[in-house]
Amino acid sequence: MNNKYYILFTIVIICSSFGIIKFHELEYPGYFPQPTYNFKNNPLSEETIELGRVLFYDPILSRDNTISCASCHSPYNSFAHSDHDLSHGIDDQIGNRNAPALFNLAWQNTFMWDGAINNLDMQALAPISHRMEMDETIQNVVLKLQRKEIYSGLFKEAFGDSLITGEYVLKALSQFQLTLISANSKYDQVMKGAQLFNDQETKGYILFKRNCNSCHTEPLFSNYSFANNGLIVDSTLNDFGKYTITKKSEDSLLFKVPSLRNLKFTSPYMHDGRFKKLNEVLNHYTSGINKTETLDTQLQEAIELSSNDKADLLSFLQTLNDTDFVFDQKHQFPRNKQESAKE
Amino acid sequence: MDPTYLKISRANMKQILFLILLFAALNIFAQKEELDLRFNVKFNNEILELNKQYFLTSANDSIKIETLKFFVSDFKFLQNKTVVDSLSKKHHLIDLENDSSTRLKGKRSNQLSFNKIKFNVGIDSLTNDSGVFGGDLDPTNGMYWTWQSGYINFKLEGKSQACPTRNNLFQFHIGGYLAPYSALRSIELDILNKKITLIDLDIDTFLSNINLTETHSIMSPNKTAVILADIFPKAFTIADE
Repeated sequence: MNNKYYILFTIVIICSSFGIIKFHELEYPGYFPQPTYNFKNNPLSEETIELGRVLFYDPILSRDNTISCASCHSPYNSFAHSDHDLSHGIDDQIGNRNAPALFNLAWQNTFMWDGAINNLDMQALAPISHRMEMDETIQNVVLKLQRKEIYSGLFKEAFGDSLITGEYVLKALSQFQLTLISANSKYDQVMKGAQLFNDQETKGYILFKRNCNSCHTEPLFSNYSFANNGLIVDSTLNDFGKYTITKKSEDSLLFKVPSLRNLKFTSPYMHDGRFKKLNEVLNHYTSGINKTETLDTQLQEAIELSSNDKADLLSFLQTLNDTDFVFDQKHQFPRNKQESAKE
Repeated sequence: MDPTYLKISRANMKQILFLILLFAALNIFAQKEELDLRFNVKFNNEILELNKQYFLTSANDSIKIETLKFFVSDFKFLQNKTVVDSLSKKHHLIDLENDSSTRLKGKRSNQLSFNKIKFNVGIDSLTNDSGVFGGDLDPTNGMYWTWQSGYINFKLEGKSQACPTRNNLFQFHIGGYLAPYSALRSIELDILNKKITLIDLDIDTFLSNINLTETHSIMSPNKTAVILADIFPKAFTIADE
């Protein structure tokens, strides 16, 4: 390559890796990969994002208008459901999995712990229709929205069309959720050169890279693949993960690898919320692995961590908590819109 | 800009006029004519009516169809093995409750001759994997699974005494876009008469291939759904006029 171009290319790369990238209205740091969501089919706009936010917090999506998305995906829990191993929905019915946290969804191609959903747009149909979650139909949601005056204006602003359709409802919900980007933890500050890890965090970071990074890959802290991480099957649930969907024996006990960002806000952990504390999670990886045929290759040999190592690792994991994200007003209940919606 | 560029000489004018006429002439010859394709859903050689009792000879039983909805997609017109034309609208939802949905409107070139028609029953895997769409593909049409991603390609519901189910109901929701349970099927029909506009779907042919006592409730992509989808090519025929 021509020397001049080479230097120019290097400068551009260096600048972009420290800068903020703006891609289809989404802002994310330069060390993030490019999002995988197909924005061409659903180009972001401020109005549609706002409509999605109003819908996300509106219990109209449920059969008896009591449960909203936020009921199980609370902003203060990084859009997870705290205090419950298994999440509860309509009529206080208990489901069979722990509601996952919602952030950095533009980088994910499959959804749900078992990968049942292949696109963010289609994800909301599952909880809307599940008899233990919202027990409603998308057809009826559209009818209810058509009857509520505030929505014809909001849909008109978002799609240039006051007609409300299933397509528009799902696109708006996607748009709001795509803006839930968590990229301002201490780790991110360190990556941007604005802060430094202390000694313990540095030690923890080294341990993390050695033992965890192959699945919980930086900077999203998940490769968003599916893996069997050696949990013993809970006989009250008999949940075999991805196998339930694909019926392939090699998918038995595989669950989606969750991100390690925002762990402070998302307890309890694992698909069935069996661990309340991060210590229990680390102990599982060092001494609790149940060996079955589909156990992930990375876990075939036991992970060895001394109690000091565990403390160091936990201290690094704390640097992945993004308080700015959790308290960001932009993502919270749209007070003015919802109050006028009630009238 | 140099103003001489804007001047059009008399000779140029003639050339332009000639080109305009040429395009107009080509346009007349390549004109597209309205296409009106219709699906005739039949039972025992009669036009099928929903909620009407029919006799299914293979099961020696009376039978009633309550719902029939299916997707047809990627319509192509072929001369032997060469695709000469296709419908611009890719996916069509046919719902027996809505008579107008059984008609497929489009345009095709009247200059091209063809002797085959080809289409799919169902939705291709790329569309299945590409997020939400409106119109015929809108999930409010009841042709999208909620607990697992994927379109229902073909939905047939009704009642038969042969079904050991509550209210003797049979429910066939046939779909699935991932190997090994892909339920998309391609239909290829020979056309004898160029003016042909009717495609028959024989529901008795479809049901005669199923033992309703054993197979009556298919609502996810699986082995049986694949076997049932294999019947589709037998059930579609070009109508005799």
